[in-house]
Amino acid sequence: MVSPVKIWRRQKEKKLILGKVGKIISWTKIYITPKDFKNSSPYPVILVELENKKKFVGQLVDYDEQNLKFGQKVKAVLRKTRNVNSEDVISYGIKFKPI
Amino acid sequence: MINVVAFYQTKFGELWENSLTSLIKEVIFGVLKEAKLEIDQLNAIFFGNMMAGVLENNLHTSSKITEIIGRNIPIFRVEAACASGGMAFHLATKYLNDNSQKIVLVLGAEKMTDYSPEEVTSALAAASSGEEQEAGLTFPGLYALIANFYLKKYRYTEENLAYVSFKNHYHGSLNEKAHFQNKLTIEKILKSPYVAYPLKVLDSSPISDGASALILTNDKNLIKKSKYSISVLSSEVATDTINLFKRKSLDEILATKIASELAFKKAEVKRKQIKVAEVHDCFSIAEILAMEDLGFWKKGEGGKRIKELSTMLGNSDLTVNPSGGLKAAGHPVGATGIKQIGEIFLQLTNQARQRQVKNAKYGLTHNVGGSGGTAVVTILGN
Repeated sequence: MVSPVKIWRRQKEKKLILGKVGKIISWTKIYITPKDFKNSSPYPVILVELENKKKFVGQLVDYDEQNLKFGQKVKAVLRKTRNVNSEDVISYGIKFKPI
Repeated sequence: MINVVAFYQTKFGELWENSLTSLIKEVIFGVLKEAKLEIDQLNAIFFGNMMAGVLENNLHTSSKITEIIGRNIPIFRVEAACASGGMAFHLATKYLNDNSQKIVLVLGAEKMTDYSPEEVTSALAAASSGEEQEAGLTFPGLYALIANFYLKKYRYTEENLAYVSFKNHYHGSLNEKAHFQNKLTIEKILKSPYVAYPLKVLDSSPISDGASALILTNDKNLIKKSKYSISVLSSEVATDTINLFKRKSLDEILATKIASELAFKKAEVKRKQIKVAEVHDCFSIAEILAMEDLGFWKKGEGGKRIKELSTMLGNSDLTVNPSGGLKAAGHPVGATGIKQIGEIFLQLTNQARQRQVKNAKYGLTHNVGGSGGTAVVTILGN
């Protein structure tokens, strides 16, 4: 579980990236996951260069296999990240979908 | 003049009979015996460890070591992810720069196999950024991003990567302390399941328990009467951003380049004089990048050069990872950096037996923290 205070504090940073468009600089597919991400294995994670030249990392979602390639255009979206217990604050974060 | 005069390590592997404490105890008394020293002759201890706090709620190790040795000397714990051992060694050399006629014990230890792969993967991820963890990136995932980029940019395939593990397992088969002593084939490596594409199980260093220790000294009398003694010609550290995506390039570890440049300059040694090296092969791609970033190979040539197997024992001018590297010898995180120095010490003092590199006068170690956030490069010589 991530502290609810930490989740609240991190929201401001996420706003800055949401909606931005970029392209895939590198990608991987995670098969052996950390314990909070167990249910979604295997999942792709991409390293993106955004329009403003800044870079970021996040999972690729709503994709076909053909989208998992160098140079693919993507957009930053808000999605649930870690698995949490039923009483925890839900952790939302940046993921990317192909456009 | 700062010299290494003794080295001792436990076997690396799944050591279920051992706790972190018993591993530490074994190497402290083991290295003192090698050096023919009594505990009372030690002036300080430096201890490298990454995950005892995260995995077993075990901190303030300095005081725990005091309980083992029964003396009140200063003890310093050092953490820099996988470079914890190298960093402990580096700081020990700085201590000796400032304090003359002293004898220091440097040790690294890690206990990893008491926990599930998911728990250890999560603990290792502590060496990555919050953003990377939030993205579900694991350590293998970070190096996989580097590997995929490198293979694409320089037009290599997973087969090029496989030669690293092939070579290091051959070396491991000659090292009775190695976690894995089996030889591998390229075919077997390529058939192993993916951990994080394109890196497979057999591209990845294992989860291991183990400890290693050195005696480091500037005590002239001890250096003179020690049977084996090698000088530290330089030890340099550089750092880089925690986030992989904030680095200048994805196909180099800048911290390695900077530390390496400083180390060669300080030691006044040329790259072609290095006959034996222990580099940080946490994943196969890491050894290829290391050879380029340390300046032994040109940027982008690594994939081609590793296939030539010129850095395999017996093949040419520079043998890399004769211990088996992290891949075959094992990677108990805090112990690795010390083991690397120890391997070079054994090589330069002709104690490496079946894996002895002939006529090596200078050796190099390269220890990296995380995905490249810290690099320690050390050059040792006769």
